[in-house]
Amino acid sequence: MSGRTYTKHVPDLRVITHYAERGSSVVHRTNPWTKTFMLLLIVALVTVVTDLATLLALYAFTVTFYVAARLPVRLLIGWYTLPLVFVVTLAIMFVFTEPGDEIAGLDLGTTRIVVTDNGLILMLKLAMRGLAVVTFSLATFMTIRYKHIVYVAHRTMPASLATMFLLTYRFLYVTSDELTNVIDTIHSRNGGLVRGVTRQSRMYAGIFGHAFIHAFDRAERISKAMESRGFDGSFPVVERVPRPSAKGIAAILALLSILAIAVIDRYLGVGVVTI
Amino acid sequence: MAHIHLEDGALSPAWVLFWWAVAAAIIAFSLHTLKREPASVRRFTIGAMCAAVGIAAFMVTIPVFGGIHLNLTPLIGVLAGPAVGSLAVLVINLFSAAIGHGGWGVIGVNVVVNLVEVLIGYYAYRNLRTGLRAGRFTSGFSATVLALVVSAAIVVIIIAFAGVQDSHLDEEETAHNLVFIAAANIVMGIVEGFITAYIVVFIGRVKPELLEGVERIRKVLRTSEPSEAP
Repeated sequence: MSGRTYTKHVPDLRVITHYAERGSSVVHRTNPWTKTFMLLLIVALVTVVTDLATLLALYAFTVTFYVAARLPVRLLIGWYTLPLVFVVTLAIMFVFTEPGDEIAGLDLGTTRIVVTDNGLILMLKLAMRGLAVVTFSLATFMTIRYKHIVYVAHRTMPASLATMFLLTYRFLYVTSDELTNVIDTIHSRNGGLVRGVTRQSRMYAGIFGHAFIHAFDRAERISKAMESRGFDGSFPVVERVPRPSAKGIAAILALLSILAIAVIDRYLGVGVVTI
Repeated sequence: MAHIHLEDGALSPAWVLFWWAVAAAIIAFSLHTLKREPASVRRFTIGAMCAAVGIAAFMVTIPVFGGIHLNLTPLIGVLAGPAVGSLAVLVINLFSAAIGHGGWGVIGVNVVVNLVEVLIGYYAYRNLRTGLRAGRFTSGFSATVLALVVSAAIVVIIIAFAGVQDSHLDEEETAHNLVFIAAANIVMGIVEGFITAYIVVFIGRVKPELLEGVERIRKVLRTSEPSEAP
């Protein structure tokens, strides 16, 4: 694993792979199909559920799952930055314009800016939804080994798309190392002192341009090598992933039941969820 | 960011399913198109490489305006073409969802938005270069800015029509609230436009054959027309 990461707020796939390959927690030992189905159900749940308390409970569950996998919480907090930026960028104006009771206000001459309770709740709900999925998604990918990802990808995607997905997965490490090396080289030669939008844009354009040129060269070489070895467009599956265990099926059914209740509550208005 | 990705739960279940269906139809069409081509392994490999560079480039913070991240989707369109580009953006969105940069449920809508960037990036660049005979810098800049401005507008339209979950605002009020998103996207789009233009010029100098696919189409048609005439 590389000791470097580009930024603290974007998850490094090398770190993710390191935990996936080396971890030995109970979540690591859980069947990959179980975790994949649970991820899909969590996504469905945050989309269907509209009650704040239920969303908070769902988020707490995903954090518990992450902690149970013995994954680094400090890294997770840093990785929350981008999802929160997306949520805030989408919802910031709703905090002031959503109809509801005034929580705080500021007079600016003839205009008055008001923060409403419904506006804040809306932003909080979006944040809970986003973070719940991010937490569970990272926990899932940080606990499934590459060979199992290969199998799951082959069973869930069209063959050519699965091949492209897995090739990207492999190329990503080489490409990202190459980019980091160039950036490190430039910084070691005082490239970090370059100021101004134009000069910095040019400098990074050169870096990305190199990356694309190398990527195309590598793609040509690899495709020729693969074809000359009889590559038929599908990756070899080294290890099959068995069906979920009884406990795994029970966990999936439990989440499925909660989803069914949430759907009934939302669309039939029975009022089952009264948290 | 050059564009805002939606997170899970922003759209209602019906809209999530609708956009997944739209994206699935487009991806199925792209896969069908590529499978009919003789050099499909090579093109899938190029698509994978483009996706890998797109994801790796996103991880790099560019120290402009306090730090921005680029996805370079219009550039992927220019270099890889619409069919490969559409698969590359799907793969980018799958990886992005895995690391929290956009949700799983909204991959459909995010793919459609990115696909608009790929298509406009490709066709605008091609027409500027071959139709108007513009320079590489002008073509790269204009195609990227146009692609990102249109995609920013589409994001606003999509969210305004669908509405943000749990919001009680109507379409017009929602659209007003999203002006901030559109403005941020357009500013970042201009920065990405400059960087893409410099990259295109750089590639044009170092390895111009990578741009042959997008720049030669009309030249071939023009040179073949007179020879076909009696």
